[in-house]
Amino acid sequence: MVSLLKMPETLPQERPRQIDAPPPEEATETAMIDICNLDFNYGEHRVLHDVSLHVPPRAVTAFIGPSGCGKTTLLRCINRMNDLIENAHISGGTIHLDGTDINAPDVDVVDLRRRVGMVFQKSNPFPKSIYENISYGLRIAGVTKRSLIDEAVERSLRAAALWDEVKDRLEKNALGLSGGQQQRLCIARALAVEPDVVLMDEPCSALDPIATAKIEELIHQLRTQYTIVIVTHNMQQAGRVSDYTGFFYLGRLIEFGSTTKIFTNPSQKQTEDYITGRFG
Amino acid sequence: MIAPKHILGTFDEALASLRNNVLMMAGLTERSLDRAMKGLFQRDDDLCANAIADDEEIDQLEKQIDKDGVDILLRFQPVASDLRRVVSAMKLSSNLERMADQATNIARRARKLNRHPPLPEMELIVPMHAQAMSMFKDSLDAYVREDVELGRAIVPRDEKLDELNRVASRRLIQRMAEDPDQLRGYLNLMFIARHLERVGDHATNIAEDAVYAAAAEDIRHQPFVASS
Repeated sequence: MVSLLKMPETLPQERPRQIDAPPPEEATETAMIDICNLDFNYGEHRVLHDVSLHVPPRAVTAFIGPSGCGKTTLLRCINRMNDLIENAHISGGTIHLDGTDINAPDVDVVDLRRRVGMVFQKSNPFPKSIYENISYGLRIAGVTKRSLIDEAVERSLRAAALWDEVKDRLEKNALGLSGGQQQRLCIARALAVEPDVVLMDEPCSALDPIATAKIEELIHQLRTQYTIVIVTHNMQQAGRVSDYTGFFYLGRLIEFGSTTKIFTNPSQKQTEDYITGRFG
Repeated sequence: MIAPKHILGTFDEALASLRNNVLMMAGLTERSLDRAMKGLFQRDDDLCANAIADDEEIDQLEKQIDKDGVDILLRFQPVASDLRRVVSAMKLSSNLERMADQATNIARRARKLNRHPPLPEMELIVPMHAQAMSMFKDSLDAYVREDVELGRAIVPRDEKLDELNRVASRRLIQRMAEDPDQLRGYLNLMFIARHLERVGDHATNIAEDAVYAAAAEDIRHQPFVASS
């Protein structure tokens, strides 16, 4: 007879995954990215109005809002990608990264973009080998020692949960990877130069549900080491992956708070109406 | 204030249908309790039988509400007030189903009591019935009108019902000792008092769910603070 009280001879080695402790309602920790009264213009047209936001370190912050509300523009302000657009300029306010004004004249934009990596909506690997895609940023940064580059390539691909899938074909062209693999390759490429912040602009919008789940799991893994800011139109995704959420509407930050708070009991009616699908 | 409609009309329809089923279930449960108590007070076995028969329809509605709630969670992934409404509706239906079970239990006990001469101790049940039903009706009002203050005010009222139950139990135990020939009758009254006390507990749960649905505030299991 089997005893119901019999204890297993060995206890499970793997502990069940713990649900992460909820973040505080307000991001009180020292901000990694400190955006203060930011205004932004395309020519005469103002697209961001007086945005103030403190992005906490080593957490995932999601920007949500309808198309044209300014969330991608704000994301691109954080690593000065908007510098590449003619007539686009910050018309007021400041952005500090770990205490440094990123728009100060003495800031090296290349170094800023090394510290603040970016992953785009559509994966954009270079038409080169998988290995070269990852090593490119290191070579630009002046790293020439092969052993160091090999180590960084493996570390980055492992961090992006891609190593096991590509370790035997590192010299193959990256364009031969699937869409989801290409996106994880782009994340690995961003991680190779050891950034502090990773910006993600709708990173899963072109991916199937399985590839999306892999990216979301990756974001979950990376959040303990990196500050991640993600723009997404998928509110379920924002609810799943982020610790904090900011809702934008017509170029203004309407509400910012813990994701749990925003998705269960937002303070602002506009937020409630948007996330419940009452306007868009 | 009426919330604006969702862009998805089918979402509004699904939420409205869920709410209507909850309200229908609440109406049937109230009727069942009313029939059971009238069956007891008026010594009417037919009303008791009707109360027992109501339970089947209420059970089916509970299953329907659970099914519809899961369907809404699956199809629309509600958030914020929509999510709270779905979760509350499902919890409410569970409490209503258990209230209807209490009505059935009361009706069964009432039929047993009706076979014997009336007991004067029935008067102990009257204030308990009034207290439990007023709590039930107010908790439904709080849910329907999303009235946070009314919902919050119901929770401490359960203490009075508990006290009435304690008083009734003490008195009935005393009578059992004094008049053992009526032991079964007193036991049936004790059980009925206990069922009404449970009705009050479920009304409290409904009030707590009403507050959560309206204000996202969890007022369950808060330490009792005696009023000065």
